Order: sequence, then C-alpha cells, then structure tokens
Amino acid sequence: MVNVITANNRHKYQPQLNAMHADRKRIFVDSLKWEIPVVDGQYEVDQFDNDDAVYLLSLGPDKQTHLGSVRLLQSSKPHLLGDVFPMLCDKGVPRGDDIWEITRLCTAPQLRGREAWLVRSYLAVGMVEIALLYGISKYTCVAETSWLSSIMAVGWECEPLGLPREFNGESVGALIINITPATLQLFRMKMGWRHPVLELDAIAKAA
Amino acid sequence: MSLFSDVQTFVHEANRVTTLKNLKTLVESATHELGFDYFALVHHVNIYQTKADYVFLFNYPSAWAEIIDRKGYFIDDPVHFACEKSAVPFTWADVPRLVSLTERQREVLDAARHAGLGDGFTIPIHVPGEHIGSCTFSTKVGTEAPEHAFPAAHYVGSFAFQAARRLIQRSPIRREAGAPPPNQPKLTRRQLDCVVLAGRGKSDKDVAQILGISDQTVHQHVEAAKKKYDVATRMQLIVRALFDSQLSFADLVT
Repeated sequence: MVNVITANNRHKYQPQLNAMHADRKRIFVDSLKWEIPVVDGQYEVDQFDNDDAVYLLSLGPDKQTHLGSVRLLQSSKPHLLGDVFPMLCDKGVPRGDDIWEITRLCTAPQLRGREAWLVRSYLAVGMVEIALLYGISKYTCVAETSWLSSIMAVGWECEPLGLPREFNGESVGALIINITPATLQLFRMKMGWRHPVLELDAIAKAA
Repeated sequence: MSLFSDVQTFVHEANRVTTLKNLKTLVESATHELGFDYFALVHHVNIYQTKADYVFLFNYPSAWAEIIDRKGYFIDDPVHFACEKSAVPFTWADVPRLVSLTERQREVLDAARHAGLGDGFTIPIHVPGEHIGSCTFSTKVGTEAPEHAFPAAHYVGSFAFQAARRLIQRSPIRREAGAPPPNQPKLTRRQLDCVVLAGRGKSDKDVAQILGISDQTVHQHVEAAKKKYDVATRMQLIVRALFDSQLSFADLVT
C-alpha cells in the first residue's frame, strides 16, 4: 500500500524519507551515474525536494523499509521540466493547476524482478488515484528514451512533448501522460485490484 | 510541418487506431514521411508460435518476406541479436560491432541486401517480462538512411510498437507486461535457494554445505523445482526462472 507524504505530515516520516534518499543515491548516482547532488555522502537530494513536493512511498510491512517511491511536483511551481529541461518541449512547457510532474520514480535495489514490478505497479496506480483526488489531469515527465517502451507498457496514454535529445551521453525526452477515471479502471482491471492502494486516512491528514 | 509535428500527429493517431490493418497503413505512411521505404515491427519469438499473440507487422516486399519465411532467417537475424546487446537504437552498419557475426548471420545480411534492402535503423523494444522486440526502418539499396530523422524515427518506432502491443493484448485475459504468468510454478524458499546457488555454479555438495542440509536434500529440491517447471535440465530450469522473474540476474551474478 502507498503512503502520501506532503509538507503537513512529513515530520512523521523522516526516517522513511531518509531511507528513500539513500536508495535514490544508490540508484541514480551509484548505478545510473547521474550527475546530481549528494548530501553527507549518503543521500540524493536536490532543490525540488522542498515543501511543495508530494511523495508516494511504498513501504514494507514494518512501515519503515523503503520499497519504492516517486516524487510529484506541480507544473505551476519550480520543477525539473520547467527549470532544467524546458528545451525538451517543442511547444513550451505545459503548465497548469491540473498538470504535475513525475520524478525520481524508483524501487529499492534489493528487490527482485517480480517484487520490483509489484512495487512499481502500486506506485503507478497510486499516481492515478492521487491524480483523481487532486484533480490532476496530466502528468509530465523527463525520461531516458530507453525507458520509453516500459513506461508506455504500463498502459497509460503517453504523448511526446518534443524530440529526444542527448544529455551526458544519454538520449532523453519529455512526455505527457493523460489521466482520466478510465485510466484507473483500466489499471485496476489489469492488476485485478478492487481497492485503493493509497492509505486514505493518511491523506485526509496530509491535505 | 516540422519533424516533431509529424511525430505528434502520428502518436495521436497511433494511440487511437483500432485495427492492425489501420495501424499498418499509418506506420507505412510515417515510414515514408521520415525518409525510409520499409518498416518491420516484430517480437523476437519463434515465428512458428501463434503469430496472433505477438507483434508481427511489416511492409517488406513480398519476395523478401517469402525468403525470410522459407529460409528461416528470422531465427538467425543478427539484428535481433544486436537488440539483446543494445538498449539504444543502432544502424545495420553498427551490427558487426555489437555481434560477432556467424556465417549464417552474414548470409542473412547479404540476402537482405540482395533482396533490395540497403540501410537500416533499428529501435530495440525492451519491456520487462516480455520478449524483446524491435522496430526497424530501412531504405532501398542505393538510398541512404535519413540520419537527421533518427530521433523522430526512434519515437515513431516506439509508439508504433506500443500501439501494436495494445491491439494484440486487447483480450482481458492477457497478463500485464512484467506480471508473472498466471500458472507460474511457485518454488518454495528452499527450492529457490538451491536453484540460485546451482545457478552460481555451486555443486550439490557445496550447496548442501552452504545451506546446512544434506546432498540428497539439495538434489531433491532441484529435482522438485525442475518438475514444477516441467523441464529436463538445470540449465532450462534457471532460464525459465529468470524469464518469469522468480530469479533475477542479480541473484546469480553477485
């Protein structure tokens, strides 16, 4: 199940968020070799890990272990596509109260294929559920083009915002994903799930 | 109209197309707009399996398609091998760098040229839990591949493949990409331990020592696992368990 972390409740999740930043460092810096800041030699944190960020966390049964997470940022506020990668958009950066950005999606490095897939599925469905709750109709994201097929294979409707470009030897592109109630129906049907993945009482307190 | 506008229009229509026939027409049109002559969207599976379950769409001249079929070139296509080595698109000129070509594979490349195919640009399609696939755009012999259109072709190929997947997997019974197959044999913890250690090259004796059980028990666990997957050899067992993600490469290589 997936927890929603906002500025209002993040004080209750400090250890879990630290675990997330530590895994983000292992994945994005150590494995993928992204040139992004590391704090204390341990944690991957950047300027968008601020009070406006909303995190979806998939935690283990002990509610402490980080299994996977994703960071959501509003397009009307500082975000990756608008501030760092606007050149990836052919017709301007999409902005609006109903447009958010997906960043730093990851699953813990120790998870095996099937387990990692399950956590990614929880996060994907969680993103759709929160979209419907918050009135988000589109998600943007910047992704390495080699990930394009796996992103699309999730089943949501994707469109490119511009042609891919080279950054540090990697081909990267901006995408926009349309979310409707039908998206949630489709995902639930594909997974055979009938109940929300989001921890709803936590959301009420986080709002 | 800019190249990106063309891509945008293509994606918009590909996301909405409802039949493979219409998708083929759409992709063919995009192929020509990009500056290529031919396209091929395929899953790299043994074509003698049910074609209906996999992506298999192309506009090659029928003479070449017939040769591929008759000579079984599909299985030996070096472009398919190159896709296993590369997450990023490559040209046919790159293939010898990615794959040490066998005689047979050279034969396939020569035959393609002979059939009138010149330059090719291949986009590997990697979806976890699924067979590898590819989208290849190619030109007639004598025409150079349009390099300036490669990034656009990358997107067109990826979105086209996704449209094909969507149409083929319309049946609700289809399992999700990455999901374990519905009848995935479930190995017990101990069976899995033995398979992982065997996969790392340990003998039954070593495995027994590591796990603190007897040689015979290790043998029994491995045999039970083989039976669950209905295979005859340990090699087959490891390959199957890797394919349905009960085992990961990380387990075997650490």
